Amino acid sequence: MSRFPRFLKQPFYWVIVSLLAPCSVFAEQPAAPQAIDFNTHIRPIFTAHCTACHGGVKQAGDISFVRGNSVLPPEGWIVEPGEALNSILVERITETDPDLVMPPPEHGPPLSPKEIALLKQWINEGAEWGNHWAFSLPQKADLPKLKQEQWCRSRIDHFILSRLEKQNLSPATQASRLEWLRRASFDLTGLPPDPEMKQWFVSGTRPEDYEKAVDQLLASPAYGERWAAMWLDLARYADSQGYEKDSLRTMWPYRDWLIRAHNENMGYDQFTRYQLAGDFIENAPLDALIATGFHRNTPTNSEGGTDDEEFRISSLIDRVNTTWEVWQGLTFKCIQCHSHPYEPIEHDEYYQFMAFFNTSQDWDLRDDAPKLKVPNSAEKYSQMKQLIDEFARLDQQRVQLTAQTSQASTWVPSTPVKAESTGLTELVILQTDTSTEVQTRGTVSHNSQFTIESTVPTGKEITALQLAVLPLDLEKALHTPEAGFVFSEVKASLVTIPSEDQADEKAADQKPIPVALKWALGDESQPFGKAQHTLDPNSAGWGAKPKISHRRELVLIPESPVTLAENQRLQLIIKHKDAPGDLEQLVANRLQIATSIDPHWTELISSVDFLQREKALEKAEAGIRSIPGNTVPIMRQQTKALERQTAVFQRGNWLNKEQAVSPGIPAVMQFEGVENPHNRLELADWLVSEQNPLTARVAVNRYWEQLFGQGLVSTITDLGSSGVAPSHPLLLDDLAWRFQHEMQWDIKALLKEMVLCSTYRQAAVTTPEKQNQDATNQLLSRGPRTRLSAEMVRDNALMVSGLLSRDMYGPPVMPPQPDGIWRAARSRLRWNTDVGSKRYRRGLYTIWRRSSPYPSFMAFDAPQRVICSGQRVATNTPLQALVTLNDPVYMECAMALAQLNSPQEADATLQIAQMYEAAVGHGPTEEKLELLKQVYEQSLERLSESSEARKAMQIYHRDFIEQTAEWEKQKQANEKKVKNAEKEKATQEQIAALKAELPSRPELEISPELGAMTLTANVILNLDTVLTK
Amino acid sequence: MSMELTHNLLQQELLKHQTRRHFLKQGTVALGAMWMGAQAQASKPSLERDPQKPQAPVPTHHMPRAKRVIYLQMTGAPSQLDLFDYKPELVKHSGKDCPAEFLNGKRFAFITGTPQLLGPAFPFHQEKQTGQWISNQLPLLEQMLPEICFVKSMHSDQFNHAPAQLLALTGNVNLGYASLGAWSVYGMGSENQNLPGFVVLLSGGQSPDAGKGAWGNGFLPSVYQGVQCRSEGDPVLYLSNPKGVSRELRGLTVDAISKINRLDHQLTGDPETTTRISQYEMAFRMQMSATEAMDLSQEPKHIHELYGTNPGRESFSNNCLLARRLIERDVRFVQLFDWGWDHHSSLDKNLPNKCKQIDRPIAALLTDLKQRGLLEETLVVFAGEFGRTPMQENRGGVAAKSPGRDHHVDAFTIWMAGGGVKGGMSYGETDEIGFGAAVNPVTTQDLNATILHLMGMDPHKLSYAFQGLNQRLIGVQPANIVHDLIA
Repeated sequence: MSRFPRFLKQPFYWVIVSLLAPCSVFAEQPAAPQAIDFNTHIRPIFTAHCTACHGGVKQAGDISFVRGNSVLPPEGWIVEPGEALNSILVERITETDPDLVMPPPEHGPPLSPKEIALLKQWINEGAEWGNHWAFSLPQKADLPKLKQEQWCRSRIDHFILSRLEKQNLSPATQASRLEWLRRASFDLTGLPPDPEMKQWFVSGTRPEDYEKAVDQLLASPAYGERWAAMWLDLARYADSQGYEKDSLRTMWPYRDWLIRAHNENMGYDQFTRYQLAGDFIENAPLDALIATGFHRNTPTNSEGGTDDEEFRISSLIDRVNTTWEVWQGLTFKCIQCHSHPYEPIEHDEYYQFMAFFNTSQDWDLRDDAPKLKVPNSAEKYSQMKQLIDEFARLDQQRVQLTAQTSQASTWVPSTPVKAESTGLTELVILQTDTSTEVQTRGTVSHNSQFTIESTVPTGKEITALQLAVLPLDLEKALHTPEAGFVFSEVKASLVTIPSEDQADEKAADQKPIPVALKWALGDESQPFGKAQHTLDPNSAGWGAKPKISHRRELVLIPESPVTLAENQRLQLIIKHKDAPGDLEQLVANRLQIATSIDPHWTELISSVDFLQREKALEKAEAGIRSIPGNTVPIMRQQTKALERQTAVFQRGNWLNKEQAVSPGIPAVMQFEGVENPHNRLELADWLVSEQNPLTARVAVNRYWEQLFGQGLVSTITDLGSSGVAPSHPLLLDDLAWRFQHEMQWDIKALLKEMVLCSTYRQAAVTTPEKQNQDATNQLLSRGPRTRLSAEMVRDNALMVSGLLSRDMYGPPVMPPQPDGIWRAARSRLRWNTDVGSKRYRRGLYTIWRRSSPYPSFMAFDAPQRVICSGQRVATNTPLQALVTLNDPVYMECAMALAQLNSPQEADATLQIAQMYEAAVGHGPTEEKLELLKQVYEQSLERLSESSEARKAMQIYHRDFIEQTAEWEKQKQANEKKVKNAEKEKATQEQIAALKAELPSRPELEISPELGAMTLTANVILNLDTVLTK
Repeated sequence: MSMELTHNLLQQELLKHQTRRHFLKQGTVALGAMWMGAQAQASKPSLERDPQKPQAPVPTHHMPRAKRVIYLQMTGAPSQLDLFDYKPELVKHSGKDCPAEFLNGKRFAFITGTPQLLGPAFPFHQEKQTGQWISNQLPLLEQMLPEICFVKSMHSDQFNHAPAQLLALTGNVNLGYASLGAWSVYGMGSENQNLPGFVVLLSGGQSPDAGKGAWGNGFLPSVYQGVQCRSEGDPVLYLSNPKGVSRELRGLTVDAISKINRLDHQLTGDPETTTRISQYEMAFRMQMSATEAMDLSQEPKHIHELYGTNPGRESFSNNCLLARRLIERDVRFVQLFDWGWDHHSSLDKNLPNKCKQIDRPIAALLTDLKQRGLLEETLVVFAGEFGRTPMQENRGGVAAKSPGRDHHVDAFTIWMAGGGVKGGMSYGETDEIGFGAAVNPVTTQDLNATILHLMGMDPHKLSYAFQGLNQRLIGVQPANIVHDLIA
């Protein structure tokens, strides 16, 4: 196996190979380099000054500083290796004539003397080009030499300490057991440690306690919930479609799968395969299909009059960009319109990659089809999967049998002689080279019903009819589909041709003789519907919805062969009732009709084999129906026969297509030994293969950021040339290599090593010196200290106040939010605040409606989740303070915390100390306790004076909330009773008696002590230490 | 003095002057010229904003003409042909088939086949002083025409509401991009630290089709997103104290939080803790300042009469008055969304209703801003997401029974007033029936570029690095600043 892309093996690149090996030499470079390293010293100069005009987008003078071969000989001509003074590059950057100097003064400042010196040195040393570090495979690194090796517990620590020693910084002291446990508990489970664990761990003394604690945290079900929350941002998960009405959709089984997969510690490789290609994996469990929901989280536009192809493409592009952002940490999006400005990736390569995703069945349909029925009970998963597989297998058999029989038959094109439609639709009969067909003209109306009469061979036993619907432009439709069609119902009959000697009226009297059609068989069952439905006026029908890109065929088989007399014609009535509500009508715009006299069709439909299969199909379907569950959007591949073609979009515009392309990965990633993937599964396999340089780096960088506050590459979503260089390149590579090879993609093992290393165990204490040299703590000169995420802020308050529900999974919930938040256009969905345990579920179960996500989460920097979000930028704003101070959710928590530890008569000081300890982990200092006591006493004084205030505070009391909810129910029941009684003309007295049955509305005046303690708890829950991990 | 130092001093100087109201009257040219010189030295694509003070004022690329913006978005797209774009030929040919040459190759959301032309539902009237025409349904606005600059040659390429609103306001048809208001606060900061820099006010009962995305921060830090202020409930979410908690008690608790946080800061030295202390204190002040700013009852009777306001209920007129109060308090960008302009049918009944709701308050807003000397530096924009067809809608090929118009992207009208824009004029023209932008066409990107330019920002330079691209409001392609309408 080679570490280098195949194209580097070309003769020109031989020089590079020798220099790429220490791809991380720029780790700890002094200011004046001994020897030039291209990536450290030269590439940044090119990126800063040159690539805007000489890059991937613009290549002025045919020079691109993104590619070595355009700069260096033999193809390039601006650099003479070894001879700086003879190089045109040096000539131009040192030029004094403003018309000649590069960069031109109007484009930017001249290069600094230092930059010029570096370029000269580079050329004189041989002008060796280097590939960007992220495009070469990571390797296990040698441990650096250290002064204080004894500090290190893990390989991680060696690299961190090495950098600190070079900067003359020393690590912080070790954090207290409590500080470490609270940090690790939030990082691994998203929750503070539970009191029992805290008690056990903090009072312990044995070094091995740490590992035991980590094992406990990793085994907690909360672990899966915490990491699912991160993936929900990456997957742009939401419980709604996104645009306009923003209707709700069921996606939560995908969220639940994320939780399960993490708790089962699914390897990162399998986790990748499931999400990108679970529908390709044979004999995989149902979970693999649910996991493909990852790429079905894209918004669906169901606004009237929209083009489904336009928004399908919008989703498709999003899938490509998201895949690159999540797994490769590269800004692939750039290449949508042009070649990459900084990376050696070509415009066409974007579309080669897009081809992997362009053949899924979904088409921006309102119902989000295709979907999977996910049983309510996980125990039924395997049964459901068997039924689905069985159905698909049998259905495929039927499709194949139809195709075989059809191919073996001779189809005689029939000649339409009369074609009419209802509505504005105009039908014309056209003669082509091979047949005579019917086409629509002008305005096509919804609900058009066609009546077509054709001459067919007479005197012969016709066994089957074929209706073929074609795109108007067969070739173009492969990549740019046309308006589709749905046959809601097809009826056939025989009509008599009025002979010349008969009066017209008489002929008109002769009624058509219906042909009893027994079976309708389609060429495919995709994208939806069953062909047999075209014979049933009350079912959905069959067709190509919403678009047609290939010739489609429907075979209609009469129960017994039909023979036409000389004076008879075939009449077909075709109904199109399906209303997409979108741009185009679902009406067949081009139709060909043919007949067959092959007896196989009649034999087929009466054969035992055929009928048994139909029975089995029905049984499988009935089985699926009988299992209670929810339908969830998933990825499904188009069958080969119906696959879309992928063409390059000219400058990213989907309406202007260029040449067609096949699935492929960019050349810069094609290392030796890489087989070009052909489908999504092979693509997923490649991502997690040993030949992929980025997947493991991106993954460890992301997990690192979650724990340490920022990534080793701080631009989490960009490890490319425009991203920030790694702070610890050797560590990044070492960790990436070990994650993939030694840990075998075991995420829990990776996290365990991180939280147990000395670096992570440091106290989060900074000094002016460290603030000066390492303000952002990129060097980890102290323990990480970061604000809790939006979900953690909520979960923490619920947990410390004892309210948190530990129920897992299921439909999303509606905790309290201010009135009037949900007011999406043209929508009537209402927010119904939950009571009981649903009110106190973890944040990730809160319903996520894209047009108006949960406002308190938005205040704490949660993204809107319409596109993939790889990094939340933590802000610190007054709106956040308003949430935790005033949101009823946090007041309910405060009151619960105030009630938690103590009976009413308990000593207030003790109670305050207990509340503080519950929230912070340890007791308050004297000084803090004094401050909190003052809050309590002053509040007590004010609240004692105001019964009104105490009554007002009842709404935060759990008993009151539950009693009120109960009372509301009784009230509704009572009102119903009264109404019924009124209907039945009950007497005034009877009605009054009924009304009196309703107890009075619950009321609760809280004590001044509880009120004061609640406000004290509100202070505690707003402390910086509580909001920070 | 080193170059860098000069540059910094200049920035400080400029900043100082920008925050002074009446600076423009003196010394603009000299400082502007110096500024341009200094700016050429700086080639940083993204603005460096202090994360500790994300909303602090920052110097702009050049001297702003519009320091504040009030953007009136008429959700659903009002009919320019019934309100502003007077087409005598359309009146003449109303009821005839739309000529095929207009329809060839065009797509509409609902119109199919050959629709009939539809003249304006109400007569137009010519304003004497300016010679501009306007519908007789907007008599009060007519009196303000000397302040107003129409752009009659707007065009878009999105004929569905949500994508068109996103395109007009975020520069991209997809969700996830930063809105004009967010860009404004990112690029200029705000001079009032006790109120959000970008405030959104809704009326008409529904949010725009694009939802929160229409005032989202997109890839910009979340502090730049529009903060929706509400007429009912808390004016800003979670602004009021919990039930039973007085301002005095809240003051006490915030004070205790700050004191304890200071003690913790002594231990950890974390600068975020200091920021949090100041944010809590600002939240406490904001409880007063936002409540005060949103309290319409403080306005005198004659102002309520001027606007036709009725405090306590959500209405467009209340929002216009609120906009003035916010602008007065140096909020950078106030955006109003008024729902109910999607007149596919019954235009003859629904349009006058909507006109009644907006005519008085908009005229009042312009008058009021002017009399307070605020109009000069406040840009007022009136726009829908696209226009409406000069043809009668014929959904499914059947002409509707009542007059109505389909969505139309080839031409629509917006107008601006104040903030450095010429009044009493029209820019651009449509063809004789008002189908397409015929003279000086303007795209939504051009409009946004012009607004940013008026605000002192270079739309080509205002950018934020995200996903490998220096993202801009105007997108990747250059946009045209419409200099002809700048005073």
